[in-house]
Amino acid sequence: MIKAQNITVCYRMANDKISSIKEYLVALMKHKLKYDEFVALQDVSFEIRRGEVVGIIGNNGAGKSTLLKVISGILTPTKGSVELQGNVVPMLELGSGFDFDLTGSENIFLNGAILGYSESFLKSKYDEIVAFSELGEFINNPVRNYSSGMIMRLAFSIASQVNPDILIVDEILAVGDMAFQEKSHARMTEMMSHGTTVLLVSHNLDQVRNLCDRVIWLDHGHIKAVGDTQEICDQYYASNQR
Amino acid sequence: MKNSTIRICAILMAVFLLVGAIFYFAAGDSLYFTPSSSKPVSGKGNVGELLEGMSLKQSFTCQTDTLESVGLLLATMDRTNTDVLKIELTDEAGTLLFSEEVNTADPSRVQNNAQLVITPRESIENAKGKTYTLTVTSLHGVSGNAVTFYYGNTVNAGRANVAVDVSEKDALYVNGSIKTDEANLFCSLCLTVAGNNLHLFGSIYWYVYAGAALLFGLLLVYLAYCHLKEKKNAILEILYSFKRYRFLTKQLVARDFKTKYKRSVLGVLWSFLNPLLTMSIQYVVFSTIFKSDIPNFSIYLLSGIICFNFFNEATNMCLMSIVGNATLINKVYVPKYIYPFSRTLSSSINLLLSLVPLLIMLLITRTPITLAILLLPFVLLMLFLFSYGVGLILAALMVFFRDTQFLWGIVSMLLMYLTPVFYPESIIPDRFMSVYRLNPMYQILRFIRSILVDGKSPEPMSYLYCILLCGVPLLIGILVFRKSQNKFIFNL
Repeated sequence: MIKAQNITVCYRMANDKISSIKEYLVALMKHKLKYDEFVALQDVSFEIRRGEVVGIIGNNGAGKSTLLKVISGILTPTKGSVELQGNVVPMLELGSGFDFDLTGSENIFLNGAILGYSESFLKSKYDEIVAFSELGEFINNPVRNYSSGMIMRLAFSIASQVNPDILIVDEILAVGDMAFQEKSHARMTEMMSHGTTVLLVSHNLDQVRNLCDRVIWLDHGHIKAVGDTQEICDQYYASNQR
Repeated sequence: MKNSTIRICAILMAVFLLVGAIFYFAAGDSLYFTPSSSKPVSGKGNVGELLEGMSLKQSFTCQTDTLESVGLLLATMDRTNTDVLKIELTDEAGTLLFSEEVNTADPSRVQNNAQLVITPRESIENAKGKTYTLTVTSLHGVSGNAVTFYYGNTVNAGRANVAVDVSEKDALYVNGSIKTDEANLFCSLCLTVAGNNLHLFGSIYWYVYAGAALLFGLLLVYLAYCHLKEKKNAILEILYSFKRYRFLTKQLVARDFKTKYKRSVLGVLWSFLNPLLTMSIQYVVFSTIFKSDIPNFSIYLLSGIICFNFFNEATNMCLMSIVGNATLINKVYVPKYIYPFSRTLSSSINLLLSLVPLLIMLLITRTPITLAILLLPFVLLMLFLFSYGVGLILAALMVFFRDTQFLWGIVSMLLMYLTPVFYPESIIPDRFMSVYRLNPMYQILRFIRSILVDGKSPEPMSYLYCILLCGVPLLIGILVFRKSQNKFIFNL
C-alpha cells in the first residue's frame, strides 16, 4: 500500500547556479541572490492498494521521475508525506552502483548491498544471478571490460532477484539482445504477478495498456487524471495528437 | 529473542567491566601523579673549588605538589676528590627537613659535569609554592682536592639563551654573601627540582568505575526493555541501522580498499612503505639539517606522520564521498552518513596497517614497550571520531561549495604546521600554548607519544581534553550533516 498526501517538491534554483563561495559572495553583495522556485510536483495525492499495477504517464518534465524518487525515499518532499508498507525495490537506471574497476562477481555483492540485500541472501542467489546474466566466465573480469549490454544484463539480474512488496520501475523493461529482452520481460511479469504493488513509468502506451490496472496522468507537476487505464490512455493519446 | 538480548547485555557489561579494570592497570601511576622537573639555568661559570668551611646557600620555590629530589650540576675538575659535602634542606621556617653527607669519591653519586641528585628519604608533601633552602658545606675540601658547582642566570630556549630574572630571595649565596655576575645580576645554581603533581582521579578511580558501571548497567537494562517491548528509542535506532547497513558498509569499505591499490605493482605494501619512506626523508631533514634534540626522534616522527596521514586521507576521502557518489544518491535510498563513514573506515584499515612499521621501528630502536600500549585503542578511536566529524562537515560543505576541496588543502596544511608532527612542542612560546593546546591533533599526538615514547599514560586531564576536543567536532559534524542532507540531492 502506498499513500501519498499533498506531495509538493520545489527546487530552489538560483538565477545562475552558484557553486563557489566567490560567486555566492559576489551575488550577495550585488543583491542579486534571487531564487527561482521551480515546482516539480504540486499537491499530488493518491492511494495505491496492495497488488495494484499503476502506470504513470505524462510528457517530459511532468514530474514522473521526481514522483518515483519521492516514493523510493531518495528525495524528501518539500511538503506532504508518503506512507509505505513493505520493502521497496526501485529499478531506476540499472547499474548505477557499479564500480568499473571491480569484477562482475565483486559488483554483484556491492550492488546487492546497495539494493539492501543481506549477505546470506546474496550468497544463496549468487549462482542464479550469474546464470541469469549469461555472463559465464566474464563474471571474473573487471566490469570496465564489459559491453554496455553485458552491464545491463548483470544489473537486471541483480535487481530482479527479490520479490518485493513494492516495485518501482522507470522504463527498463527491455535490456540486452532479443533473447534477453524476452527473458527479462518474462521475469518482470513474474515479479509483478506475486501480489506485488507496481509503479511503472513508461512512454510506451501499449505497454501501459497491457500491464496496468490504473493510470496516473501527470502534467506539469499536477495530477491531470487518475483512473481506468484504457480511458486515460485514450485521453492522453488524444491530447498529444492535437 | 529474550535470551539472546540478555546474553548480549551480559557480554557488553562484562566487556565494560574488563575494559575499566584493564585501563586502571594500563594507566598505572599516571592516574595518581605526573612527575615533573624544573629546567635548570645554563651553566655560566663555577663558584670555584669548594674548600673546607665554604658553604653555598640556594633557595628555590617548588612548582610541584610534592618534592621528590633536587639535582645540582657539579664539576669534579676531572679527578677523584675525597671531600665530604654536607647537604641540608630546610623549609621557610628554618626547620631541617633532610641532611646528608656525600662522599665526593663515590662515583655512583658524583660524576664530572653531571647532576648530584639529593633525594630525601621521604618525599615532601604539600610543597607547591613553598620555598626551600639547600645548603652545601664542604667538610674537608682543600685546593686540588675539591669539587665545584655551576651557576648561571639564563635558560636555553631553542636557538638562544634567555635571561631569567633571579630574585634576591632565590639568589645564590656563597659564604653568606650574594653572588652576582659581571653585569651585577643575581645568579642561581644549576638546579633541577623534581617532584610529582598529584591527581585526585587515581584515588577515586574505583568509585568512578563503580558509578559508571552502575549507569551503564541501567542503560543496558533500559535499552533491553525498549528492544523487547519494541518501543522507540534514539540509541536503539542507531544500533539497528548499524546492524542493518553493516553489510553495505563492509562492501563499500572493501571496494575502497580493493580499488585503491588496484593496478599498482606493490599493492597493499604501499600502506607499509608510505609512512616509512616519509619518515626516512623527514628524519634525515630534521635530524641533520635542523638539529632536532627530541629523544627517540624516529618514533616521535613516525607516530606523528602516521596519525596525520590518516587524518589527511580520511578527511580528503570524506570530502568527496557525497559528491563522488552522486549517481548512487540519485538512484537508491541509503542513509547518507554511510558514505563518509565507510570512507573513514577504509582509511582506518590503512592506519592499522601502518601501525606495523611503527611496531617494527619500536623494536629496532629498542624502545621499551609497556602496558601503556593497551591505551592505544582509546587514542586511535578519538582520532577516528575527530576525523569522521571533520569529514562530515567537509562532505556537506563540498555539496554546496565546490571550493571546499581547494580551501581544505590549505587549511589542512596549516593544521599540520600547527601540530608538532616533526618539531618539538617546546619551540612554541608559552603565551601561545593556551590556544595551541586546543588543536585536537596536538592532544592526540601528545597522548600517543606519551604511550609509545615515554611508555606511560598521560595525566588524567589529557583524556578529558581528547574526549572534548574530538567530541565537539564530531557533534558539529553530525548536526551540520543532518541539517543539510535532504538538500544534497538538489545540488548534485
